[in-house]
Amino acid sequence: MTGAAASMISSPALGWRNRLGFYLLAQALIVVACILMLRQPLPEPSASYQISEAILGEEGAQRPVRLPYHLTSRVTSGNPPVFTLSFDRPANETDHAWSILLPRFISGVEVAVNGTVILDSRLHPAANRADRNSPEIAVIPELLLRGGANMLTVRLHAWGPLTGFLDRVFVGPDEALRPAYERRALLFLTLPVVFSAWQAILAVLLGVMWLKRRHEPTYGVLAAAMAIGVLQAFVSAPVGQSDYAGLNAMLIASAPLEAACVLIFIIAFLRLERPRYFWIAFIPGLVIAAAGLAGNAALVRQAYLVLGPPTVFLSLSIICILVARAAVVRGDGVAMLLGCAVTIVMTFLFHDLLSVFGIVIERPILVSRLSYSALLVAIGIGLTWRFATALNEVDSFAGRMVTLVREAEDKLRASLALEEERARAAALASERNRLTRDLHDGLGGQLVSIVALSERGAWEGARIGEAARAALKDLRLVIDAMDDIDGDLMLALGTWRERTAAQLRPHGLALDWHVLVPEGMPVHPELRPWHVIQILRLLDEGVTNSVKHAGATRIKVRIETIGETAGDQRGRITVEDDGQGFVLCDQGHRATDAPNTARGLANMHKRAARCGAQLEITSGPGGTRVRLDLPRSFPNVELASG
Amino acid sequence: MLLVEDDAPTRGRLRDALADIGEFEVTTAATLREARAALEDIRPQVLLTDLQLPDGHGMDLIRQARRDCPNTEIMVISILGDEESVISAITAGATGYLLKDAFPTDIAATVRELVAGHSPISASIARFIVRRTQGTAERPSLPPLNTAKLTPREIDILWGIAKGFSYAEIAGHLGLSRQTVPGHIKSIYRKLEVNTRGEAVFEALQQGLIRL
Repeated sequence: MTGAAASMISSPALGWRNRLGFYLLAQALIVVACILMLRQPLPEPSASYQISEAILGEEGAQRPVRLPYHLTSRVTSGNPPVFTLSFDRPANETDHAWSILLPRFISGVEVAVNGTVILDSRLHPAANRADRNSPEIAVIPELLLRGGANMLTVRLHAWGPLTGFLDRVFVGPDEALRPAYERRALLFLTLPVVFSAWQAILAVLLGVMWLKRRHEPTYGVLAAAMAIGVLQAFVSAPVGQSDYAGLNAMLIASAPLEAACVLIFIIAFLRLERPRYFWIAFIPGLVIAAAGLAGNAALVRQAYLVLGPPTVFLSLSIICILVARAAVVRGDGVAMLLGCAVTIVMTFLFHDLLSVFGIVIERPILVSRLSYSALLVAIGIGLTWRFATALNEVDSFAGRMVTLVREAEDKLRASLALEEERARAAALASERNRLTRDLHDGLGGQLVSIVALSERGAWEGARIGEAARAALKDLRLVIDAMDDIDGDLMLALGTWRERTAAQLRPHGLALDWHVLVPEGMPVHPELRPWHVIQILRLLDEGVTNSVKHAGATRIKVRIETIGETAGDQRGRITVEDDGQGFVLCDQGHRATDAPNTARGLANMHKRAARCGAQLEITSGPGGTRVRLDLPRSFPNVELASG
Repeated sequence: MLLVEDDAPTRGRLRDALADIGEFEVTTAATLREARAALEDIRPQVLLTDLQLPDGHGMDLIRQARRDCPNTEIMVISILGDEESVISAITAGATGYLLKDAFPTDIAATVRELVAGHSPISASIARFIVRRTQGTAERPSLPPLNTAKLTPREIDILWGIAKGFSYAEIAGHLGLSRQTVPGHIKSIYRKLEVNTRGEAVFEALQQGLIRL
């Protein structure tokens, strides 16, 4: 019914008036159902075993009374009232065990058969809880029974907050009484334990929830309420022992405290704003507990009677209004469910209050505690419902996020691929430009001169050969420079040495190669092919000058590392010859009329400048020296060549 | 000596350079077919071959020579001495290379050294081999090379060559006798050779020299 109700209630097509009508109708039906349930007779043995006539001995006076009987006082002191009853036992029934069943009493009984006490309910913790409606059964020892009339005395102890009460007593064969007892025990003893266990589980679950989600005190409050309820159900102190008076008082105070906690929880659960003075709800419970700790039992009872039930009733009423409003105004299905549960509790509580104050109800069977379980079940369902909804929301949110992230990723990947493609294309284009320029600078010119020479006639053969050789050399240089040498210029110089030595050999020139440090020069990770080409061409030009113009017999190449500290170390390459040298003019150019050499020197300076290297050319009668100091770090782009 | 070169002027130039030293009887061939026949015929002491031949690839000739005439020293003729052609030839079994435009004296000297058991190796080839031993990613177009068999000493020698040190300098740095260095280099060549026919086919496939 609740599922259908929830879906109907939450349907937006229904206006709040319709929902109000539906809500009230549902609650009315629930009230009627509760009343019908309460009117159901409780399990009782056959009436033939019941004893309703008794002599009540109270404060010295004896008078006949009919059971069930309500005492007028709430508390009995040292001399409790004694009900004297009699029953007959047929002499031929000795093979059946006989029992005495007390279906309902308040608050404690001491039963004696023929003067011997066979039952004291005050020794049973569960039976001491007047709100539990505990029945008591005791087998009468065979030896105590006499054939014919037997005497039964029931001493009724009463303590607050309820007035003393004794229902009809049943005496008869055990097998005739036992089923009714068992059924009552199931209803009033076992069922509450089941519900308390449920409450304990809720307490633990909510406690864990609160520990992991401290920012949501809702769960903490409800966990506290559940814990108080469980404590109240399972911890019970023996009556009349002063050591436990304080504990008892705390237990008595538990109901209003629990009610206050549940109220706060419901406010938070319905996502209502928590009132500023919400802590007022806890005051009555705390006052009762304080009174209990003060130790005066009478004071506790008084405080409980004044504060306890009204607090519980008031809390429930507020809850009732809040959930009803949430169910009607918002169409909240869970609130609807809670509302039904609250109505059940309210109905039963109302019934109990009527019982306690002795109005209308004949037998004080207290059912509000039991009906509280309905609220617990509703809360459990509500929490689970909300949890599942939240999970679904998370799922769909996660799904949305996954889709979004995937889309973003796809876009990013596409743009990255595009970017990469662009970068690759740019790198390729710049490499192509460089290669074109390098080939054009060297190979192109040499091939053109080969063509020119070949057209002049056969007598230019030697010069054609020279030009072609130069072209091949340049081609190898370009190819070598493109090789990855990991920034170790020594590797490029190694190849250059071979080539240069081969080039010098026909001229009868020797190449002296001196590497002053075995490791060579510092490694430059930033070294690029174009740096290598510039340096090798520079060295080539230096060697060419020595071969063509200086008339040298030896060319000496020295490779060293200058600078002391690691950060200051630089490579130095020196090319020396033993030729006649030449005179440099002020601009560093040769003052003779050999334009080729002048251009060659200018080119060398230009190449050094592009790489950020320092070039020093000295020349004299003893020979020419070209000294190239490499930069600490090669530039990324060509520097202005000046 | 068998000289295989398809370009007539180059062939003539090389033949002259080799004949001048007077130590070799030079037979020439212009095509793969001719070269194969000559290889069978004369079983030369030295095979000098170009790689690009009009009717086939010089690699096939090198393999045949390695198989049929194990004592023949093989040298490739390369225009640029680039790694691709030289390393391919080495994996096929060549132990040296010659630049087409080398001066006649250099050509003669190189061949003489080869016959004397000294395999020439250039700085760039040494660098290429050393790089392979380091597992550095190389240009994918270059042939694969199995460098696992090289000893640390051999790798040190290759490093020295790559950096332009002379054999004497290398020997000095490594504490060797100068005379042992060429032997090491020959051993390096031999270790890089792909020995079995299956391996060779695989390598050739890898290089794109054979297409299925």
